[in-house]
Amino acid sequence: MPVNGFALTHFQALLFFAAIISVAFGFLGRRRPKDRIKYILWSFFLFLAVGIGIAWAMYPFSR
Amino acid sequence: MSDEVIQPRLEEKPVQPRDEGSPKESLALAIGIAGWLLPGLGHALQRMWGRAIIVFLTVGLLVTAGAMMRGNVFSSNATDAFDTLGYVADLGTGSFYLAARTLERNGADVSHADGDYGTRLLATAGVLNLLAALHAYEAARGRKA
Repeated sequence: MPVNGFALTHFQALLFFAAIISVAFGFLGRRRPKDRIKYILWSFFLFLAVGIGIAWAMYPFSR
Repeated sequence: MSDEVIQPRLEEKPVQPRDEGSPKESLALAIGIAGWLLPGLGHALQRMWGRAIIVFLTVGLLVTAGAMMRGNVFSSNATDAFDTLGYVADLGTGSFYLAARTLERNGADVSHADGDYGTRLLATAGVLNLLAALHAYEAARGRKA
């Protein structure tokens, strides 16, 4: 039983955040459906890449 | 032949008066405030249905997840600058701020990572909604959006 009502792992939280924000940015920032999809996918990829990159950069200092 | 240099005539463009206080500007402001109070309403009023639905759903999902993860919903009696900033960010969700307070019946629990993530999700929802409201305001003013 999770401590809180809605528990996510670190990676799930990153995926959730990246997906939601990418969709919002895509719809607000672009008009045409094709442009929106490209923007959403690219933004999602960058969120994940930067998040994982920062996580690895902090790894040596985590203990 | 004269060697007089012909200067191009600079035509003075009439200075456009700012349309502050005009009905269009007031309407745009009202649309922006409506978008802040209820996420997506600013776009819905301009018949931008796709954007309205997405703003409503994304802000709603972030607030719901943040509250269910027992993130900190900051209140007006802040003790330091960070709490004040958090309160301003949370207020950005407009009416969803009240929904977050209602959803979080057991109070915040930031002793676990989930609660900390929840705090960030709530703040993100507020900032995202402010961005969407600003977008609706600019669209109502006739800027390309």
